[in-house]
Amino acid sequence: MSALKRVQQWATFARIWHVYDAAWQNPFHSAKLLKKYLMGLHKPIYHPLNDCGDHVIVINTGDIALPEDEWKKRAYFHHTGYPGGASWTVAWELHDKDPTMILKKAVYSSMDGNLQRRYTMERLHLFPDGKVPADLMKNVSNQIQQIRPVPKRLDHYSEQERKEFPKLIDYPKDYILR
Amino acid sequence: MVFTSVANFVRSRGPDEFWRKRKIFKMAAHYIGRSRNCYSLAIRSVHRALVFATKGRALKKQDLANLWVTRITAGCEQHDVNYHVFRESLSRSNIMLNRKSLADLACWEPFTFKALTDIAQKRALEEGIAPPKGNKVLFVPKRGSQKKT
Repeated sequence: MSALKRVQQWATFARIWHVYDAAWQNPFHSAKLLKKYLMGLHKPIYHPLNDCGDHVIVINTGDIALPEDEWKKRAYFHHTGYPGGASWTVAWELHDKDPTMILKKAVYSSMDGNLQRRYTMERLHLFPDGKVPADLMKNVSNQIQQIRPVPKRLDHYSEQERKEFPKLIDYPKDYILR
Repeated sequence: MVFTSVANFVRSRGPDEFWRKRKIFKMAAHYIGRSRNCYSLAIRSVHRALVFATKGRALKKQDLANLWVTRITAGCEQHDVNYHVFRESLSRSNIMLNRKSLADLACWEPFTFKALTDIAQKRALEEGIAPPKGNKVLFVPKRGSQKKT
């Protein structure tokens, strides 16, 4: 490298804005991925005390996919602080109330509980659908790759494709399909 | 022995207790409250501090090693190399750099680090070095999951 460019540091310390599409993604696996960008763990200059985390915009948090029967089984605990103030909310119920909350809690609990955690969470912007304010979206310069492929629904395939799909058997004429 | 003040000269042959306590008080000089003036409290907090210091010497080394791994992993990810593949390939290429030097290169000399990842990628391709198996399975069919509703 030339002597003039020896200490060239293009945007090394700049905050980058990433966008992540949470549709059909496991929120708990996504949290580990998002945490890396929020805390700046993906940069070789990382140090716990240097403030090098990036912003992450997450869209479609309403369409997250929980594994197995987690929607029914996972309970979120809250306590008002008063006697008898404990409450347990099941995942589907919480998701009905606020479609961003499950991912937010997943990211929050994936990080260590220190003084920096609240400030790191401020850099996470969650949106239940694709509608992001233009003043946030104009900052975005990178898209984070989804961790698993989005499955295509049967009714999104064309009639042609469905007909041409190889079949093992033909149903008998009198077979009742439910 | 050299004494900077008359008061200490007087004590020089005097009671051992004074000098014994003074050693502790000197170590507790920067504490707050009574733990720097009262001996029985000072000795407690000094003992505690010395235990922390002993443990801290080991912890510091671990923390730094963790930080180096984080930095090298970050550098590797920028060039699409797995950390374990990177380290294994470098050692097979006879490039004996430790975690500290690799982290320094990743942080301060990104172009040098890129050259190293290029070497590692070539070596990994030649010798078929694969990343260790993780939980990469996306879908495992279980007994209930195939059932029609």
